[in-house]
Amino acid sequence: MHVLIQGLIMGVLTGGVYALMASGQTLIFGVMKVVNLAQGAFVIASAYLTFSLFTQFGIDPFVSILITTPLMFGIGMLAHWVFLRPLRKEDAVELSILVTFALALLVEGLLSVTYRTTYRSINNTYSNKAFLLGDGFSIPYVRLYGFFISIALLLVLYFVLQKTKFGRAIRATVQNPQSATLLGVDSTRVKAYGFGLGIATSAASGSIFGLLYPFNSGSHYDLISRLLSVVILGGLGSIGGAVFAGILIGVVSSVAAVVWSPTWSEMTFFIVLLLVLLFRPQGMFGRLERGAA
Amino acid sequence: MKDNRLLSRHFKPISLVAGACAAALALTVTGATSSVAAAKPLVIGVSLSLTGDFADPGNAVKKGYQLWVTHVNAKGGILGRKVTLKIVDDLSSPTQVVTNYTNLITRDKVDLVVGPFSSLLTVPASQVANRYKYAFIESAGGGPKVFAQNLTNLFFVQPGPIVKQGDVFADYILSLPAAQRPKTAAYPSLDDPFAQPVADTVRVRFEKAGITTVYNEIYPAETPDLTPIMAAVAATKPDVIVSGTQSLDAYQQVKALIQLKYNPKFLYMSNGANSPSEFPSKVGAANVNGIFSSGDWFTTSTAPGSQTFVKEYLAKFGGTAALIDNSSAEAYAAGQLIELIAQRTGKIDNATIIKSLHSGTWPTLLGTLSWDKYGVPQSQYLLVQWQNGALKSVFPTAVAQAKPILAKPVWP
Repeated sequence: MHVLIQGLIMGVLTGGVYALMASGQTLIFGVMKVVNLAQGAFVIASAYLTFSLFTQFGIDPFVSILITTPLMFGIGMLAHWVFLRPLRKEDAVELSILVTFALALLVEGLLSVTYRTTYRSINNTYSNKAFLLGDGFSIPYVRLYGFFISIALLLVLYFVLQKTKFGRAIRATVQNPQSATLLGVDSTRVKAYGFGLGIATSAASGSIFGLLYPFNSGSHYDLISRLLSVVILGGLGSIGGAVFAGILIGVVSSVAAVVWSPTWSEMTFFIVLLLVLLFRPQGMFGRLERGAA
Repeated sequence: MKDNRLLSRHFKPISLVAGACAAALALTVTGATSSVAAAKPLVIGVSLSLTGDFADPGNAVKKGYQLWVTHVNAKGGILGRKVTLKIVDDLSSPTQVVTNYTNLITRDKVDLVVGPFSSLLTVPASQVANRYKYAFIESAGGGPKVFAQNLTNLFFVQPGPIVKQGDVFADYILSLPAAQRPKTAAYPSLDDPFAQPVADTVRVRFEKAGITTVYNEIYPAETPDLTPIMAAVAATKPDVIVSGTQSLDAYQQVKALIQLKYNPKFLYMSNGANSPSEFPSKVGAANVNGIFSSGDWFTTSTAPGSQTFVKEYLAKFGGTAALIDNSSAEAYAAGQLIELIAQRTGKIDNATIIKSLHSGTWPTLLGTLSWDKYGVPQSQYLLVQWQNGALKSVFPTAVAQAKPILAKPVWP
């Protein structure tokens, strides 16, 4: 029972970080209908930026989020302007998959050249520290801080989307782009901001990822497959769904690893994913397109 | 006949002069030819992963080969021939490596070839070399598939096959008095042909010796987070953890154990923990003490050529001795073998190399090496342990730099 609860704790804490990563992914899909295969690469790029800020300037990885977030927002806007905006509207959804995959490879290549391919790890005074709770349950500080920062940022994202004019413009674009345009929403600009905002979420998750795990430029492949699974399980375009599925993936993987076997850990999550999709093809919190079966 | 005699008499002085000239010319030509032969460089071809997944270790191997070439040329080359390396990039691709070795042998007609980085690339590359009857001295492909090919032209330049790495740890533990031996053991291992078999070999020997297995699981390479797995390990409270690891998972295991505040009496990791340049920076330098691993070379080794290698490495590439990658030393050892064969036989060609290395013992900076008929090395790895932030050889006692620390210090 002890090991089960320990696995549960680790799963929830890790799942919170996945939720933050996936929220950016699902936001981009919601606004632009773009399956952004470069999201994982941007998370890793943020981890490298955090690594550089820490090793070169001694900036704490959590403080560096204040620097990397606007930077990644700008990079996201630029990437949209250069790579996605020129796509023909009729083919944009399909082509965006190829374009964002190419973007992921570009980011990976640049990181490989800049940082080489050796694994990097951010080790500071608290990165390996933990405290014991109750009956000897270990709570690593980084996971706890990471979880709360992710939740806080998700609340900020929720506030921006629900309570601001910009957020209303995004939501209007998500629900009906043509009507939003007719009502005066500059959908091109909203899409650029939406893409930038989605990429900006990778800044914080990259900092936390870098503190939790060693990484190299190729780490984004494993990451993107998990992020896509989270987004599909939660429902494409649903931030609440991404949060729920992110925590679920963390818990299911973690509990399966401690109770059954590490071999089952990954498979268990995908079994859950398949079962959900069998009964709710739109994902847990997704909506069916009008006219769809 | 007369005419002949006349002619003969008449032409005698001329013949003498002509003969002398011809002889002088012949001597000159012969001399020139022999000096050309002496000047003809010995070209060694190699395909290395200079880009792609194996770029870092590939470049470390490159440094080792380059350093040996500089070293041997400073001494006059091999049998008077200057050594030249022809290096081509294989992009870490097992397909490209085949093209590269085929081109090196058939188009560039290099005299010899040496091996690439990783077993993945060594398997197809060694087949190409075998097809053209080239010797294949390689320092970075010791996986089971390499030897399963039963190639007689291949020689793996490390003390033993990778799967035998853990034997030295088992030897050490089983050499301890019964009271000091661990009673229980956990074996969390990566699903990898270079990792899991190492732990499994140790497990079989430990179980025979009465050490109870309390955890034995394999995790897939894609496992993003090893903390839950190590939590399950910690819950069994093993005296010794024998981890079949590569690099990334070794770092993750250590970080997870620290966070879980579980400190086993003995912690052995087959790979990852044996890199002086990488391990401390990945897990935190303060956390390495007491961890065991296996190694074939260390910077303070007194094996033949080792200190010369360190000195020349630092002079050529800078940095500190602690940052020298073992892959560089292993590649350098491959060069040492070529040099030794030439010294012992007075010849340097592929048939001589293959014949020579199949018998006798060969002192290198990795120790004295020998091989069976399929190139499997017959020596033993060293048991290394982190002590006061440095990686030291601790077993077998005959080559140990320090005594092993019996109980692992607690995590700081």
